[in-house]
Amino acid sequence: MQQHIIDTVNTALAEEFELEAETMQPDSHLFNDLGLDSLDAVDMVIVLEKAFGCKLRDEQAIREIRTLGDLYAFIEAKRKELG
Amino acid sequence: MTEATASPGASRRSGLWALVMSAVVYPLLILQTLTFILLAPMVLPLASVLTGRPLGRIVRYFIWIYGKVWMILIAPFTRFEKIGLTQDRFPQPCIIVLNHLSFFDVFCMGALPHSNVGFTVRSWPFRMIWYAPFMRMAEYVDMETLGHDEALLRCRELLDSDTTLVFFPEGHRGRDGKLGRFYSGAFKLAVETNVPIVPLCISGTDRLLPPGTLLMAPTTIRLQALAAVDPSGFTGESAHVALRKAVKTAMAEALEKQK
Repeated sequence: MQQHIIDTVNTALAEEFELEAETMQPDSHLFNDLGLDSLDAVDMVIVLEKAFGCKLRDEQAIREIRTLGDLYAFIEAKRKELG
Repeated sequence: MTEATASPGASRRSGLWALVMSAVVYPLLILQTLTFILLAPMVLPLASVLTGRPLGRIVRYFIWIYGKVWMILIAPFTRFEKIGLTQDRFPQPCIIVLNHLSFFDVFCMGALPHSNVGFTVRSWPFRMIWYAPFMRMAEYVDMETLGHDEALLRCRELLDSDTTLVFFPEGHRGRDGKLGRFYSGAFKLAVETNVPIVPLCISGTDRLLPPGTLLMAPTTIRLQALAAVDPSGFTGESAHVALRKAVKTAMAEALEKQK
């Protein structure tokens, strides 16, 4: 996993949702552990699109994301796909 | 002398006052609640017929009076400081966002200048059998059970009928007196409906009933309404996020000054 993806995701989400850095572990569940709700999930996509400069919405895969680790993997796969 | 630097003698006196306050206020609160419950089946339908207003509106008024009576009951032990709680600070309708410290925060809404106020709450308050029927009749919105889409639809319907809505943007009580993370629901609703947000800062209710205790303690409760924030000044895909951050910053500054 590329460290810069992890750092960028963590920084963007920490800023957007006022999360504590120590709670942001790869196995942290977005809803159960980080306390995001369904509105936050929409905002999360927007903020990550801005952070990575690519479209992430309308993706079936993003609906399957449960943990931060899933999110890192999704972003990495997406960036590889876009070249 | 502040509470943190109180002498042992002062601490004993405040402990005695807490006992006296609890011994007086709890029975009165139970009596008040029973009286309102017993009066409701007669008063609510009669008031609805006589005024021609919908039952929900009448129940919201009834609950507002209940809050006012509670404030009178605890007045001998508690000082209320109200800042900016005037009609002109609360456009009708508006969305009040209130920080959350105690179960008794909602009782303090009896201090609001108008009575047509609905609450958005989690599901657990609907499990208090003595309050739940009134909450349902008052059309309070159960944000947890309904889910966001249905809950926000109910909120829009209440705003359409000129009902002011109270949100606890932190979602639950704070345990350390600091503002917690704000959820976006109230702010998204404000942007979508173009209804102004009124930030309302409360302090002291955490000392009135400290978390994890049952003894009430004499204290000062401060309620400060900040200037209404017009959501039309926030645009774009993340308008509600910018609005949320602006309101939280204003509330954090006001609460810091209240200390």
